[in-house]
Order: sequence, then structure tokens, then C-alpha cells
Amino acid sequence: MSSQTIEFFTHSYLKRFALPLSMIALAVLATILQPAFLAPKNLQDIFTQAAPLGIVVLGQAFVVLVRGLDLSVASLMATVAVIATAFNATSNAAIPVIFAVAIGFSALVGFTNGILVTKRNVSPFLATLAMMIVLQGLRFYYTQGAPAGSLPDGFRFLGTGRIGGIPVGLIGFLCLFTLLGWLLHKSEFGRKVYITGGNPISATLCGINSDRIIILCYVICSVMSGIAGLFLVGFVGTVDNWVGRGYELDSIVAVVIGGIALSGGVGTIWGAALGALILVLLFNIVIILGLPVQAQLIIKGVIIIFAAAMFVRVQKV
Amino acid sequence: MKWYSKMSRRIGNSLRRLHLDPSLLVVFVLLVIVLIAGFALSDRFGTVRNLMNVLEQSAALGFVSLGQSLVVLVGGIDLSVGAVVTASAVLMAAVVDSNPELMIPIIIVVLAFGTLIGYLNGYLTLKTGVHPLIVTIGTASVLNGLVLLYTLQPTGGVPFWFEEFAYGRIGPLPIAGVIMLICFAAVWYLLKYTTLGRSIYAVGGDEEAARLTGINSKRTSLFAYSACGFFVALAGAYYVSRTGVGDPRLGEPITLASITPVIVGGLLLGGGKGNVLGTLLGVFLISLLNNLLNYMNISTFIQWVVQGLIILFAVSIYASKVKKL
Amino acid sequence: MLELTGITKTFPGVNALDRVDFEAQSGEIHALLGENGAGKSTLIKVLAGAYIPDEGTIRYDGIERHWASPRAAKDAGIYVIYQELVLFPELSVAENIFLGRAPKTRFGAIDYGKMHSSASEVLNRLGHNLDPRTLVHRLSLADQQMVEIAKSLVDDTKLLVLDEPTALISGRETELLFECINNMRMSGVCIIYISHRLEEIFELADRVTVLKDGQKVDTRPVSELNRELLISLMVGRELDDIYPEKTLPPKEPAPVLSVRDLKAPPTVKNVSFDLHAGEIVGMAGLVGAGRSDMAHAIFGSLPRIDGAVTLSGETFNTPTPRMAINRGLGFLTEDRKGQGLLMLLDMASNVSAPVLREFTNAFGIDRQFEIQAAKDEIERFRIAIPSATSDVVHLSGGNQQKILFARWSRACHRVLILDEPTRGVDVGAKVEIYEIIKKLADEGVGILVISSELPEIIGLCTRVLVMREGLISGEVTGSQISETTIMRLATTSVAA
Repeated sequence: MSSQTIEFFTHSYLKRFALPLSMIALAVLATILQPAFLAPKNLQDIFTQAAPLGIVVLGQAFVVLVRGLDLSVASLMATVAVIATAFNATSNAAIPVIFAVAIGFSALVGFTNGILVTKRNVSPFLATLAMMIVLQGLRFYYTQGAPAGSLPDGFRFLGTGRIGGIPVGLIGFLCLFTLLGWLLHKSEFGRKVYITGGNPISATLCGINSDRIIILCYVICSVMSGIAGLFLVGFVGTVDNWVGRGYELDSIVAVVIGGIALSGGVGTIWGAALGALILVLLFNIVIILGLPVQAQLIIKGVIIIFAAAMFVRVQKV
Repeated sequence: MKWYSKMSRRIGNSLRRLHLDPSLLVVFVLLVIVLIAGFALSDRFGTVRNLMNVLEQSAALGFVSLGQSLVVLVGGIDLSVGAVVTASAVLMAAVVDSNPELMIPIIIVVLAFGTLIGYLNGYLTLKTGVHPLIVTIGTASVLNGLVLLYTLQPTGGVPFWFEEFAYGRIGPLPIAGVIMLICFAAVWYLLKYTTLGRSIYAVGGDEEAARLTGINSKRTSLFAYSACGFFVALAGAYYVSRTGVGDPRLGEPITLASITPVIVGGLLLGGGKGNVLGTLLGVFLISLLNNLLNYMNISTFIQWVVQGLIILFAVSIYASKVKKL
Repeated sequence: MLELTGITKTFPGVNALDRVDFEAQSGEIHALLGENGAGKSTLIKVLAGAYIPDEGTIRYDGIERHWASPRAAKDAGIYVIYQELVLFPELSVAENIFLGRAPKTRFGAIDYGKMHSSASEVLNRLGHNLDPRTLVHRLSLADQQMVEIAKSLVDDTKLLVLDEPTALISGRETELLFECINNMRMSGVCIIYISHRLEEIFELADRVTVLKDGQKVDTRPVSELNRELLISLMVGRELDDIYPEKTLPPKEPAPVLSVRDLKAPPTVKNVSFDLHAGEIVGMAGLVGAGRSDMAHAIFGSLPRIDGAVTLSGETFNTPTPRMAINRGLGFLTEDRKGQGLLMLLDMASNVSAPVLREFTNAFGIDRQFEIQAAKDEIERFRIAIPSATSDVVHLSGGNQQKILFARWSRACHRVLILDEPTRGVDVGAKVEIYEIIKKLADEGVGILVISSELPEIIGLCTRVLVMREGLISGEVTGSQISETTIMRLATTSVAA
């Protein structure tokens, strides 16, 4: 019994503190190598950059928890950005309308993904891959490759504004983090997400409509991507067809770093947030050390295999 | 719905009597539809000259899809094919540019390089127990980083004669297309008539059962991943031959493109089911479709949409047969 | 021929084999017996190289062996037919039989012509006519079992292990199989035979080794044994000490669960029965008779095409598991790990899963309340677990099963369907589970026990339904309940 208890504790300690510790270690390392890391400007940059990715990762976490995967997030972000600019609105009064349309569209995309995965039995990889390509085709066709259109000035505030020195993007992220954190860890729905992801058959036999849970997870993921797309277009200021490019893989990398198992049912909202933050920290360290940007790719590749291998090992203990 | 399912069952049965896999039916029917539409809608489409061009251009897609098929058959997936294509192309063009006499050795080196990366993918997957999706995203990222560190612009060059690989003809037949067909035939033979080939199906079908049957499942998986790397590197060489340079951004769309023919051809993600003949038909389907849409002046953008819808269509036909609890 | 000494194998939380000695000779049929979870399958996997033992030695053919893989054991002439069939559904019959050892042409290619004819020949020896080109997933379970057996006839087998080979077949096929086994014994093959059906042991075996809870109980010649002795060796105590006393429930006018003409193809063809409150009814039958599917169809987790199910007078005809649970019908499945426990969640979450709504208030799940409820269950069922928030993965089979009892008895008060409730559970825990079942029945829950362990059904139930090929082939009550009557109903055709 006692050895089992010890095993249990080391196991859960590892799970709980590995991520924050490695993040602190990274920050310390960065400060030693380049004291400018701690400059307020740099920290603001980190958070501004982390916010949209973080929002996508929160959504991706829900999908991965139910044994899914969403490759359409980046394509959806860009599509939402194109939709937002298609209004050509100049008045800030249009912002709520733009938000409503963007979120509605995203929810529809997520719903379609979810239906394909649950009712049509398509593997998540292929369903969302096809969605990614379809959205990309429609977007390019609509813009004929050169998006035009403009956003109300208020949008810039989303991406670059500050409230009391804190980037608006960060505030938005924290709100969503709190909301989704409650949903995942406190609500009945969240428990059902874990049950469905951990053992879909048991879930069904416990009277849980697992299809509905899975579809809702895809909807959450797409809505998060849509919101992230709006933040990002506000940050960049102009729209192009590739807003958010690479986010599909980056969000998966962050989820894996955050200890959310692709096999489903394991991981926390904290893991998702820290995973995103660690990834952005790594990117930032590359920049402030004056290394070529391409080094980010190499680090990303090594880290993802390393992190995934580590979590596989921890879960086997 | 009823007549449709009755009909497809009947065709499926007659295919089975001919010892053909009934799941080839879907891709076969789609291919026939595209061909008929092509002959009807465009007078240039049906010419031997055009069809040979399509065969020539489909070689690259053919090589990468063939490699991807092997990995998918053992239950994996390789998302590093684009990066391997790029890396082999850049490596080849960069080295040969100043030393044209090294052309032959470098072909061997590049093929070995691809095989090695494939082996590495397989090794890391088996050793760490990490999902191949993640492992290959990782190796792809590292490879892309290294290539882009070396150059951001298309670079290098190859001797003129090497372009024969991409553009040469034997009579009316394009050399690249013929090589691709030979590769498909070889893999088909391997899968059907060798113990290793049958083991690939067994490992993809049920790894633990394969182990209990006495199959060396690790070696089988490693072979599949390595062979994938080999064919992907071959695609890299083809691109160099076709464009004359090594382009560091060449591979980006290739990874996902390599999956479409595999899926449309009826291979099951998760492994153990399907046939490279299906992949070959899938390659032809995608190539002919794009060719036809080009003739009809339909924008590339709509071609993407069509490709996405075809994936969904094919997959939901195959998938709906799978029984859930 | 084969000598295992001091074999020990542990898995996380389980001592699967504890210093087991085992020995078998050429030309003998040696039966390996024990209840589910006694360690038979683990022992087989050790001798076949699929598991590496923690301790102990394997001597085979006079040499000490350390199998590196199943392949090595196979090359040495050991062939195992596992209970869970090792077949590849997407490959053909012939390919399955010859996987890894197919006949080759001069050029080294697989010779399909020769392979198909040899496959037919082997199958004919088993009295079976199957097209060797058929893909295995198109075969019935019985045919698949025959393919599995055919695989063993191809090799130059010196030691053949059969793990429950008759679980899926009956009648003529069994006879042919026994003939084959006897022929192999005659030619000097050493055969290790595992079966639940004791009469087969008496018909076939020369010697018997009994395992219990991972330890060897005894090895004896069959001639020294009788049925009662064998059962008490397997169970480890006198039969009277194991099962609670049977009491007939007070007859209620209306049944709590009533099933009429239930059809859920392909396995459930037509099932009707009644279950009263406080009654423990057994459901016997061969593997593949459709018992589990019937339970799923009643519970709503498998679509039914026809039939009426009434729960306490309420009809329940377009079912989902949710509706069943809400009406007080619970289902404890046979696959504890795959379909029951939530291994990634703690004990409290496992208990609350079917009735989460009860634990939810305006702020979400009331964790305090949930944990308190779990603590009550830990006491009620005497579950050995550190706390209500502990993981369930490392618990013993018995404690895991008790958690599922806690889950379902808490959620559902009218009817519980228990599918193999003591599978993979040690004898001590079995007795406790029987007591729990009895207690629940006394509290007025109607209980349907599906079990392949006949002694369990006989010891526990006041009424036994027997299923055969998707139909109820008969019902036995009271003093008529015996292995003979049940097996007769389970194997012979229903008179039209």
C-alpha cells in the first residue's frame, strides 16, 4: 500500500508541477541569457502574441479531450477575418454585428465538423482537414486571392489596445480562460467531456449522449478560433488570406506540451494555457537572443516530440 | 437509396468474383465520371497528348501517395512528407550545382537520406510510443527549420540531362509516369506476394495479434516508414528535375495532398485495409480532375473546394460501413 | 517435455502468477483449470513467450529457455490457440492460416494456388468446408474458431495449447475437434487444454492442474477426480460456504421487468421473460448465444427492431441508456475495463457518472456532496481504497467490481442486469459480491445474472433462463437447476 501511495503522489506531483516549473525555468534562463527579456515591452509582446494562440489552444483542448483533433482552426480564423472585413463597416457600432456573424459562422463550421465526426463516422483528422481545404477554397474564391475591405477603427483596439497597461487581448484571453475553465472543471458538461474522452463506451452506458458532447466540443473549438481570428485581424490591422497560418499545428503542439493526451480524457485547462505560453516563450527567446527565426521551427519540432514522449512515460508510471 | 445499395452490392459481388477489392468501386466510379465529363466537356481533354501530360505530372503526387499508403497501411501517418520532399530537393540542387559530376551519387545519397528520415520517424514512433502524427509534425518542423536556415530562396541547379527524368519520353510514354507505374507495381507485388507485404496488413490490422502470430511488428513498421521516406525523396528528385532548382517552400502543400489519393483509394486510416491500386486510381482521379477543371477555366480555389468535398464524400462512404457500439 | 518452475508474474496492482510450477509430457492431454482470473491465460502467455516472467524458469524439450518473443517459442514448436481469436479480419482464410509461412513459388513469391489448396485440405481434416478465399470478417464466430484451430495443424507442432476452443462451437464440430486432438496426442504431441466445461475434461484429459488466485493448487490424474472434488479444488472451499442461502421473494402480482418478443438482429432473435422484484434470475448459455446483446438491447445501447419492454408497468419502447437509467434499470457490463470503469477519473466520479445531474447545482458539480456520497459507498460495500478521490486503475478486480456495484445500485433501484459479475475477481471478493447481490435482491431489486460460470448460476439463482442462438431455449427452477439440465438446453436445438 505505501509504495503505491508514494507512486500515486509522485505521479500527481509530476503532472501538476512539471509545466509551471518548466515555464519558470524557461523564463529564468531567458533572463540570464538576455536581461531585456523582462522589459515591460517584451513581456507585453509575449502576452499580445500569446493571446490569440492561447484562445485557439483552449478550444483545441476541448476537441483533443474527446479524442479529436481540429485542423481547420487556422483556415477558420482567416475566413472569419475575411468575413469581418467584407462588411466594409466604418462605424464602431457595427462591431457587435460583426462579432455575432463571425461567431455564428464559426459555430456552424464546428457543428459541421462535429456532425461529420460523430454521425458520419469520419476520422477527425480527415473531417477537419477537408473543412480546412474547403474553407480555404471558398475564401480565396470570394477574395479572388486579394482580400480587400476594411474594419471599423475600434477593431484595432482589440489587437493593440491596453486597459491599464494590460493588452486587451490578454484580458479577453483571461475572460475566456475563466469561462472555459469553469465549464471544463466545474460544470456537468465538463465532467461529461472527461467521461466521453476517457471511455466513450462507458459514457454511452452511463446515459451520456456522447455524440452531443463531442459536437459541442467542436463548436467550442471553432468559436474560440473565430474569436481568435477577430483578435488577430485587429492586431495585424489588415486582412490577408493567411491570417493565423500555422495555428493548426501550433495549437496542437501547445496542447501536447500542455500534457493533454491525444488519446483523450487527460489534461486540464491550465495545461492548455501553459502549453501555449511555453510555446510563445520559446519563440520569444529565439527572437531576443537574435537567433534566426527559422530556429523556432527546429525548437518546436524537438520540443513536441520530447514533450509528448515525456507525457507518454509519465502516464505509464 | 435502396436501388443504390442493391446495385452497389451487386457490382461489389462481381468485383469480388474477379478477385478485385470492392472498395475500389468508389474511386473507380468517380474516375469514370471524371473521364466521361472530360470527354464531353472539352475536346482537348481526351487527346493522347493531354492524357500523357497528366500521367507525367501525376508522378510527384504518385510517389508521395505511394509512400503515404505504406505508412497508413501499418496504422501510421506521415505528416513529414512535404518537409522531406523539400529537404531532398534542396540538398540535391545545392550539392550538384557546383559539382555536376556528382549527379548520380547524389541521387543515391538523397534516396538514402529520405529512407533514413523515414526510418527515424518509425524509430521515434516505436521507441517513444508517441502518436506518429506528433512525431512526424516534429521531424517536419526540424527539417523545415534546417532547410530555411540554409536558404530562403530557390537555390542550386542540376545538369540539363537530369531534366529527362521529368520531361523525357519513351515513344509517347513519359519517363516519370512510367517510373511511377513501375514503383506502384513493385509495391503492389510486395504487398500481395511476399511475407513482408502480408505482415504489413497484419501489423496494421492488429499489432498485438501480429506479435502473437510471431510477426516482427517493429521491423515491419520500420520498413513501411523507411520505404515511405524513399518514395518521398524520389518525389523530391522529380521536382528538382522538373524545375531545375531546389525550392525551400516547395513541400508545403504536398503533405496534405499526399493523403487525399490514399483516402479516396479506400485505405483506412488506422491501417490494415486497402490496396495501393486504390491509391493509384486516387492519384489519377485527382490529377485528371485538376486537369479538367483547368481546361474548364475553373479557378484553383474551386479546385480546393472540390478536393475537400471528394475527401468527405469518399470517407463517409467508407466510414459508414464501420459499426459503432 | 515442458517444465515450468517458480513462475511469477506481476502486473501493476495484481499478482497474476505466484511461484507456479507446471509440467506436461509428450503424448498427454493436460488440462489446466481454474476460475476466471486464476492465472491460466497469463501462464499460457508466459510459456508461449508473449509475457516474460518476473521469476522462474522454463524448460522445454530438455533445455532451459528464455523466449525473447512469441516467434521464438513458435519456432520451437509451441503453438497456442488463444481464447480471444488472433485473426486478421481483412485477410482471407488461407492467408490467416499461412501468415508468415506461406508456400512460395520458385521465384520466392507467395504461391496462392498452393496456399488455397493446402488450406482447403487442412479445413477438410477438421470436417469443414470453407472457401479459403473468403475474408475472415465475413465468417461466423464458430467458423473463425475453426480457422484458428486449422492454423495449429499446419505447423510441426510439438506442444499445442488450446484456450477454451469449444467456447464458440458445439455438436459435430466439437466431436471433430476432439478427434483431431486425440490424433495429435497419439502422434506424441503434448497438449495443454483449458476449458470451462468439466465434462470435456473428463472426456479428454489425462491429468489436471488446478490454479487459484495465481497459485497452483494441485496436479492430479483425472482418474482420481470427480466433479465435486474438482470444483472444490478450483474454488478453494466447500460449495456451501460460497453462496448465500437462496430465498424466494414474496410473489408480486406484476413483474418489475417484462420483456416480450425482443428482437435485435443478428444475435438476438426472439426473447421473452419476466423478472420480479427481489428475484435473482440466472441467464445461462454458450458464448455467442446472444446474452450480452440481449442485455444491451433491453438497456437501449443496441438497437432493437421489435419487442416490448415494460419496467414497473411503464412501457419502454424507444430506448436509450439515459431513459433506462432514469426508470431505474442499471446494467453492469462484462467488460469492466472497456465498458465500465472510467480509468482516468477518480473513484467518486466513477460512482456519480450515471446520475451526474443529482450532484449538480447552480455553480456546477457539488464536489463535496459527490465525495461524501462516494465515502458512503466505500463503507457500504467495504471497498479497499485509500480515499474517495483515489484512482481506480490500481485497485484489485474485486474492488473495481464493487465500485461498479456502488455506481449502479446507487443510480438504479428497480432492476440490475449483471453481465459476468465475478469475472477476473478472486475467490474472497466473489463471496462478497454474492453477498452484495443477495442484499440488493433483499432490498427489492430485481436482478438478472448473466454468467458463463455454471456453479455461480446454480448457487445463486432461484430461476434460470437458458439462451441458445438468440432464443430462450428453456427455463429451469428450484431443484431442477443443475449443470446437466442447463447444458442440455444450451446446446441442443429447441424443438419446433
